[in-house]
Amino acid sequence: MEKREGQHTQIKTVMSSKDEILTRIRQTVRTRYDMPEIKPDFMAYGDKTARFIEVSESVGGRVVIAGKGEDINDIIRSLYPAAKTIASNIPEITAATFNPDETETPYALDGTDLAVVRGETGVAENGAVWIAQNVKEKALYFIAEYLVILLDAEKIVHNMHEAYRQIQLNDYGFGLFISGPSKTADIEQALVTGAHGAKGVTVILTSTV
Amino acid sequence: MRVGLFIPCYVNAVFPEVGVATYKLLNYLGADTDYPLDQTCCGQPMGNAGFENEAAGLAGHFDALFESYDYVVSPSVGCTSFVKENYPRIREGNGHICRTSGKIYEVCEFLHDILKVERLPGNFPHKVSIHNSCHGVRKLHLSSASELNIPPYSKIKDLLSLIGGIECVEPEKADECCGFGGLFSIEEPAVSVCMGQDKLYSHIATGAAYITGADASCFMHMQGIAKREKRAIRFIHVVQILASGL
Amino acid sequence: MSTQHAQEAARFIANKKQEQWHNETLWQVRRKRDRLAMDIPEWEVLREWASGIKMHTLSHLDRYLERFAANAEANGVKVHWAKDGEEHNEIVYGILKERGVKKLVKSKSMLTEECHLNPFLIRKGIDVVESDLGERILQFMDEPPSHIVMPAIHLKREEIGELFEEKLHTEKGNSDPAYLTHAARQHLRNEFLTADAAMTGANFGVADTGDIVVCTNEGNADMGTSFAPLHIVSMGMEKLVPDYQALGVFTRLLARSATGQPVTAYTSHYRKPRKGCEMHLVIVDNGRSRAMEMGDHIRTLKCIRCGACMNTCPVYRRSGGYAYTYFIPGPIGINLGMLRSAETYAGNLSACSLCCSCNNVCPVKIDLADRIYAWRQSLDPIGKADKIKKGISKGMKYLFSHPSLYRTSLKLAPLLRYMPRFLLYNNLNSWGKGRELPVFAKESFTSMWKKGKVNTHKSKRS
Repeated sequence: MEKREGQHTQIKTVMSSKDEILTRIRQTVRTRYDMPEIKPDFMAYGDKTARFIEVSESVGGRVVIAGKGEDINDIIRSLYPAAKTIASNIPEITAATFNPDETETPYALDGTDLAVVRGETGVAENGAVWIAQNVKEKALYFIAEYLVILLDAEKIVHNMHEAYRQIQLNDYGFGLFISGPSKTADIEQALVTGAHGAKGVTVILTSTV
Repeated sequence: MRVGLFIPCYVNAVFPEVGVATYKLLNYLGADTDYPLDQTCCGQPMGNAGFENEAAGLAGHFDALFESYDYVVSPSVGCTSFVKENYPRIREGNGHICRTSGKIYEVCEFLHDILKVERLPGNFPHKVSIHNSCHGVRKLHLSSASELNIPPYSKIKDLLSLIGGIECVEPEKADECCGFGGLFSIEEPAVSVCMGQDKLYSHIATGAAYITGADASCFMHMQGIAKREKRAIRFIHVVQILASGL
Repeated sequence: MSTQHAQEAARFIANKKQEQWHNETLWQVRRKRDRLAMDIPEWEVLREWASGIKMHTLSHLDRYLERFAANAEANGVKVHWAKDGEEHNEIVYGILKERGVKKLVKSKSMLTEECHLNPFLIRKGIDVVESDLGERILQFMDEPPSHIVMPAIHLKREEIGELFEEKLHTEKGNSDPAYLTHAARQHLRNEFLTADAAMTGANFGVADTGDIVVCTNEGNADMGTSFAPLHIVSMGMEKLVPDYQALGVFTRLLARSATGQPVTAYTSHYRKPRKGCEMHLVIVDNGRSRAMEMGDHIRTLKCIRCGACMNTCPVYRRSGGYAYTYFIPGPIGINLGMLRSAETYAGNLSACSLCCSCNNVCPVKIDLADRIYAWRQSLDPIGKADKIKKGISKGMKYLFSHPSLYRTSLKLAPLLRYMPRFLLYNNLNSWGKGRELPVFAKESFTSMWKKGKVNTHKSKRS
């Protein structure tokens, strides 16, 4: 303790803002509180998938269940018949008109009608889908007019506690939960979809079984 | 059971009948009730205005006056919660331990939780709109606050259900503030009156003949507006209804 | 004894239609919040945890900040520390200048409002573009936000329609919110694609991983950071949470409390700079460490800026954001203003009837109303107490300290019944402006008791 105080006076004149802030906190905190024990053993839904669909729709999203043997490309084409530029780096998505990973810059993605990407984890309580960046430019998730997320129906969890126990970021160092389309209510609290990001989001639930 | 009755200044001067009804009920239910004459004010108006220090002497006086009773009972949610919540700190500031904060009860709370009254004579064949006073709801927990995810309850409704013929309703925004708030009402007159009007109109919209509740200080404010605007709705404290058959 | 808030609120209320719209619209947000909160059986437990996590983190902030900064640096993020708003602004400008940035696109950040960053950068010649729709509208109008989550809630669609006619050349007379929003989408898309740098705030910083978490509904933070090669994050140091398990608690509470949504449309985790790009993080103190010294007021630092206390506050709903002198209004703004400068912002303390509804909606359980009560007690020592209120309080003390004098006044009070009306209702009596004075009873309770008129019912004792 004495030693630290000695050092403190010595470096006072050249103390960085970082040191000043941290020193100040150390001097001011009187009571230290313990971390509460978080036991997220609740909020389980009888039917996670049903809840996921219900909440997704309540936030303006759409969920489609891919039938057994059904071609996802057919589903995409029937959902978005007007889409001319369809981006996807997923090999099975033959409906794609280009591979977004082959563009030089994110700016080249402007004008994309539809992006098809894969989600990793769905959350029943809020209709959110976790995506750890899986395209070269994350801009794709936001600049496409419409977004389709493919999600394995088995990968739906009850709540955010569970989700945060599973999710991980990869080397891109970016990931996000998306719940429904981009929206705003900044003008008189009137809800409008398609503020800056996708005007519509469809989650296609696939089954690996 | 010895009960010391605390009648706050505004009840004493403006609503003495609320004090009388409180006494009648306690007496009827077997509490040995006394009214120490040297009582004045708990100090809440000063505290809420930012002069809690001016209440220190009053807290000491209050403690001395009421410490010998088993319970202190008062027909005011504001004063009761002030003693309960702030007296320990005020007394501690003067080097004392508060001797009354642990045994003071608002009268409805006392009837419901301590005396556990199960029947009362009386008939009140009217529709009443319950005024849930802020500190009654959020400090004394007389009813479940609308903000909280807890099972709904109302000690006031429980008590009123003992009376025959009564129909209880609640206004829209059932526990929104009426805008009295002590000196708030004169420091922020525009907001205070606006809140009071909104509250009054929502009570009137229920079609009730009476507004009832556990705090007459809110009544002073709403009654003032009702009178100014010549609105016919009447005000009655819960204990007056409960004591109507005594 | 009229504070600035009281005067401004009176002006707001004078436009009755606008006041009612503001009041009811925000009440509907509160109702949406209720519906969502009631849908989570463990809601109250979540609030308790959130409060506990924040108190734990704040009281170990030195350790968590070090861990967070070390992780962020290991992730390739450049970390800066700012003691105050001025240093924050200089750091941001330094980064922009060094890289020759001309256009900066921003997403909503209350911290940059707090530091007055925009005017500072604009003076230095930077083109600053707010990208949240509400913020962009206000930037066009050169007005501050009137609510922290719904910044343009005080404006009507017609006003915005006219503004967009002028700024974005939209159709004359068209004030349809969808039309206006999509016009802004086109306009801002161009700004996103041409910006040299993007700036965001931070809803949470995760100490364990170094993640910056930003929650938006519009996707504007994401659009900005997806194009420009430079991302600057401005973060108040109280925004830290220890880990993902803690974050799970807050992401469940935030949007439900703020807007009555189960979660925001986007919950983005920024850990590393984009490939070939830069990411900078400015950690800001600006009075927060000082607030930690102020006893129980440290609790105010738990705030996650959801705005629920504003939506429930009966005073805020009826007075509008501009009635408050601090840039954040409502119960939390009253408190944050006092933490910033008690001398400057004491007037806002009048804007509270102590109804305590804010305490109950707060997702991190800040006892906002009790804090306001406590702040009121601190005004007299710093010479900021209202003289009339002080006089009234002293008078009451004198009266109530003398039981016999009090009893005499009770006896005399009924005489007021016979006072001429002009003496009771005049300009000095702000009570009498919308209300009649209470009428004193013919006989006080004390007097009845002394005459034996109260305890006549002994015989009825069961």
